[in-house]
Amino acid sequence: MKIIDNPFFVLGLTADASRIEVEREAQKLLGMLELDFEAARTYDTPLGPQLRTTEMVRAAVATLRDPYQRLVAELWARHAPPAQPEPPPRPAAAPTRDGLRRALGWRP
Amino acid sequence: MRSMIALPYLVLQWLRQSAIGARRRDRTARYLLWSVIAGVANAAMLALATSFVLFLWAVGLWWLGLAMTAVLVVPVIASAAIRLVLVPAGYHRLAYQAALYSRPGPDPAAYALCVAAWAARDGVAVAWVSAQRDARRPLGDAEVAATALLAAGRGDAATARELLRSLAMLVEDHPAVRELAGEWLACDAAERGAWHEPIYPTGEDPRPTGEAVGAPTPRARLSPIDPTRASWPATPLTYLLEGIAARHTGAAGAPSARELWARWLVAPRRRTTRALVVEALAAAAPVRRESPAEAPAAADPAPLPCAVAAHLAIDARPITAETLASAVRAWDAALGDDTTRLWLARRALELDAPLGAVERAIRDVASAVTDHLARVADAAQLGAPPGARGAVGGGLARRLRHGRLDALEAAFSRWAERRHDNTRHPSIDEWREFIALWTAYGAAVAAGGLELRRLAFPHAFSKGSNMAAWLWNKREEYALSHAISRWLLDEALAVGDTEAIELGHRNCELAVPTRLGRIQP
Repeated sequence: MKIIDNPFFVLGLTADASRIEVEREAQKLLGMLELDFEAARTYDTPLGPQLRTTEMVRAAVATLRDPYQRLVAELWARHAPPAQPEPPPRPAAAPTRDGLRRALGWRP
Repeated sequence: MRSMIALPYLVLQWLRQSAIGARRRDRTARYLLWSVIAGVANAAMLALATSFVLFLWAVGLWWLGLAMTAVLVVPVIASAAIRLVLVPAGYHRLAYQAALYSRPGPDPAAYALCVAAWAARDGVAVAWVSAQRDARRPLGDAEVAATALLAAGRGDAATARELLRSLAMLVEDHPAVRELAGEWLACDAAERGAWHEPIYPTGEDPRPTGEAVGAPTPRARLSPIDPTRASWPATPLTYLLEGIAARHTGAAGAPSARELWARWLVAPRRRTTRALVVEALAAAAPVRRESPAEAPAAADPAPLPCAVAAHLAIDARPITAETLASAVRAWDAALGDDTTRLWLARRALELDAPLGAVERAIRDVASAVTDHLARVADAAQLGAPPGARGAVGGGLARRLRHGRLDALEAAFSRWAERRHDNTRHPSIDEWREFIALWTAYGAAVAAGGLELRRLAFPHAFSKGSNMAAWLWNKREEYALSHAISRWLLDEALAVGDTEAIELGHRNCELAVPTRLGRIQP
């Protein structure tokens, strides 16, 4: 399971959410996605925001209905760092000098 | 009159060649002195030869003046003409002829072939250079370098890099060819800002402690830019770029600012390289940063949050051996920890999960994590961290070892099948096939450690020895065959296979016929 696909993140809930809260949140998100609400289109994860679809919401709620699968999902979600509204900055790559080889007399 | 001209000209020529020869053996401050002497001798030869030609012209012997221009002037200006006119203009045939005239040492056609490949621009030129290359047998360093330069010309820098680096394995050694190869590699590294990247081959093992197990063989390894250990001769441009790299990496033998400017002065393309020198002088020595994956571990001592944070660090940043090891350590600690089991057991009870859910969850998480780490490690050609024995570490080591070993054995078997079928490839393709296998073997054993190296070697030795014998006896590709035998011997020494060591020594002691004579390794 990829942590960005964790059902708790997809539904925007904490790992403490009850079964009723899961169902209610899923219905709400499906409605919002149906109406194409911008707020429902993405969800926060520790690796930054991800796109949310109705299929993902349905899969998430189905996962959390199963006690064993919920246990595994909780293991990840409960111990993950907080979700980030922005993706983490990528480390700066070494600066390159395009065309230097050519300028020094080599091709291309 | 003729002797009055000829004697000083010959003395100057001797001085120039001696200075260039000394420069090729030297990478200290004397390099600059030899460069200046070679330059002054070159200028004096040109002045003398031009004066003589003008004198002949003035006295009406213009036909003799033309002949003397060809004999005395052209060899002096050939190198500059190649670099400044013929190569940029794409005159590959003229560049080839000028290189022959430039007196690059024994076997001038080797250097000429590389220069023609450097100048080749269109399909016709590439076909001409390829034909010249294929006509030269057996394979040597010039043919490999020319192929690399053709690849570079069509924009395939990765192939060019791989082929030029592979020259380190060939015993045939044309200094002028190695100079060109070294300069291309140095310029390529400079363009990519890869100042830490290995470039030059050395005769010793440059592996740092801890990397020794499973890394490719010493002979084939390339050292980081380290002028004191570099064994290829350097052009003035290469020498300058070495100094710039040393300043960037904070190497112990990095030149002072004054010395770096002196190198800049003797190197060509000063307008371009000036900015590099200024940047290198402004660069501070690199500061070792803590591994990013270690930071969360230090901040949160609970094993499971540490493991998840280390796992996320793998996804968030380019993976390194340190971040992989950190993630494996963290997961092994977390999944083997009693608090994790207690927490799982309590939650399983609260959720009314089926019996055995705790063990199953630990197994499933370990399997999912191992899958993910194996995929990432495989893509980055990393091995399992040494000594990892937990659910994740042990699984990762097994996964990486088996997949790589199978692929390696299949590749060596395909290679050796050609001997049975007597399928002959052009010499350069034989070399490229071996280099591909050598690279795959090096990557696999570097990732899989000594255990994988010991498992992979017998098969590689069996197939490689047969191919080396076939290439020597049937194909008369002596340098190629010797390179394979030498590599197998190094590997045999690394894994301690006495039978292979004995055979390897016998094979490697054979004198290798090359265009530069029989070379006794």
